[in-house]
Amino acid sequence: MREAYLGIDIGSISTKGVIIDEKNNILASSYIWTEGNPLGSAKRLLGLLEEQFDKENYKIVATGTTGSARNLVGAMVGATMVKNEITAHAVGTTTLHPNVRTILEIGGQDSKIILVENGVAVDYAMNTLCAAGTGSFLSSQAKRLGVEVEEFGEIALTSKHPTQIAARCTVFAESDLVHKIQMGHPKEDIIAGLCKAVANNYLNNVGKGKKIVPPVVFQGGVSKNIGVTQAFKEALGCDIIVDENGHLMGAFGAAILAGRSSKRKEFDFSVEDMEFKTRDVNCGRCPNNCEIICVYRDGVLIDSWGNRCEKGAIKTGTKSAE
Amino acid sequence: MQVRRKVSFPEFNHYNYALKYFIEQGMEAQYIMAPPMTVRTMERGAKNSPDFVCTPFKSTLGSMMDALEAGADTIIMTMGLCRLGYYGELQEQILRDMGYNFDMINFAEYSTGRKRDYLKALKRINPRMNMAKMTKALTDAVKMVEYLDDAESIYYKNCGFEKNKGSYGKLRKKFLAAMETASSRKDIDRAYSLFKKYAAEIPLDKPENPLRVGFIGEFLTVMDPFSNLHVEQKMADMGVEVHRYMNVTNRMLRYKGDNLAVETAEYCEYEMGPTSTANIWGAKHYAEKGFDGIVHIKSAGCTPEIDIMPVLQNISADYKIPVLYLTYDSQTSDTGLDTRLEAFYDMISMRKKVIL
Repeated sequence: MREAYLGIDIGSISTKGVIIDEKNNILASSYIWTEGNPLGSAKRLLGLLEEQFDKENYKIVATGTTGSARNLVGAMVGATMVKNEITAHAVGTTTLHPNVRTILEIGGQDSKIILVENGVAVDYAMNTLCAAGTGSFLSSQAKRLGVEVEEFGEIALTSKHPTQIAARCTVFAESDLVHKIQMGHPKEDIIAGLCKAVANNYLNNVGKGKKIVPPVVFQGGVSKNIGVTQAFKEALGCDIIVDENGHLMGAFGAAILAGRSSKRKEFDFSVEDMEFKTRDVNCGRCPNNCEIICVYRDGVLIDSWGNRCEKGAIKTGTKSAE
Repeated sequence: MQVRRKVSFPEFNHYNYALKYFIEQGMEAQYIMAPPMTVRTMERGAKNSPDFVCTPFKSTLGSMMDALEAGADTIIMTMGLCRLGYYGELQEQILRDMGYNFDMINFAEYSTGRKRDYLKALKRINPRMNMAKMTKALTDAVKMVEYLDDAESIYYKNCGFEKNKGSYGKLRKKFLAAMETASSRKDIDRAYSLFKKYAAEIPLDKPENPLRVGFIGEFLTVMDPFSNLHVEQKMADMGVEVHRYMNVTNRMLRYKGDNLAVETAEYCEYEMGPTSTANIWGAKHYAEKGFDGIVHIKSAGCTPEIDIMPVLQNISADYKIPVLYLTYDSQTSDTGLDTRLEAFYDMISMRKKVIL
């Protein structure tokens, strides 16, 4: 029986999972949409991973979660490692590409840049307050144009004169985009313009003041869009590496981190059949009114977050009132 | 007989204790401690403030409302070297429009730089104040501020390494309670020496070369734990020595702006705002001392602090020291902050292992 590690990355748009062996080889992987239901999609993901996984020869001894639903899904699967997505991505990418100096990452709701020296992250930035140029912006514009977002890249490459689109802010970008559509610009030029706008907006906001040194790796869901990759190539004047597993990098990093840590707990696929529920409670014991989030497994409280003082302390293991 | 005024000032870290001491011992008025700020304070403050004003305006406005409801009849507001100079005037107008009835003593109206003008403001608190008593209490209150800042700096440097979780927190709580109730210089000195004595006895589990992070940033947000979502405590709890040069002692009581400007001349020629020179000096100081990282904190739209960011980027590049930039507004969530802080911690700790 050999050891294996499971990593799950639950983002706002997509849920990713990998199982790796001790030498970081991917044994099973899957990528599905979150569709606003992180617990449901995590269960589905585990089902898909279970089908690919060789239970005869391997057993999962450590589990890591990352992404914006890392705490929730971490409680659900009994994770031994719950890690933020920045560290998970940095660890995943530097393992696969030890020479990388710059990691560009554009996901569904956030984008980040990680600068690497000698195989460790030395600086990073993450967008705040602004969704311009992230995956969800591209998806919503794809809907407006009646195109699948997956086809965006191919269509963009056919354009010879990309349309100029103001990309400082999604609100401006959208009104400018509508204006350009109504002026009769061809669809491929508009799509190519959008891809360019995403890349430039990223470099002007998240990448501001950061020295981008090749080799550059581009990852996250948007890296599957060859139009944006092309735009980065032109803007930075260097080659851009897009790994075929680039979209799995967070989950891969979480699995590696789980493996590195000394904590061990065998993972059981039976969580797929258990019922998980979250409930939002407003404490109300003082004017701060903490919003406490409670997670129940089959009616028993397994974890809670958001409480700030002893007045709202909750004991795990208690039964749900319902 | 004249009725004693009930004076209050918005909550600002631990400094209200020193103000309380000065108002009660020196001015012989009553001090109403603004209730601890909560989500409700922030919500009410934000609701009644202009949207694009910086967050400290909103939280202090909310805290003034809390204080008025707690029984204060006089609100003191400070002057300032940025937009803060206008805040008292605008906050007074907003509170009056909302229907509150109170007296406002806004030091911005008296900030001519001449002592007798400040005295005019103090005379409004108590027209029959005793000059000797006032001066004595002022000296004591200044000393208290220095003690409070010193104790805080000892606390954040060590609380992440205590062997028994919570021992530093308990001690500091006792110390703050003693400062709040102090009524003489003797009480103040005694509380401080006891804190120093017991703090030195707390068993620590500190590595020889611990992670050290320097905090710099905008005056209120960087100092006030409620406003920065307890960022220093969060960082310290990960096992980090947290340093912060920016406090009232260093910026106001012992400030030597001209000398700091000389030492930062290679990075900036002019003074850019109320805290810029001190923060640039702080960042350079941390970089030279080989700190593992710098955290820069500001509220959204704080122009002086936005202006120093390019300078910080230069310092970061020259000394190869990572800087985490955090911007706060009334909507900033704990989750987003935790993600960034945790990633910053992971980064500097992995980096340290490679460098060593």
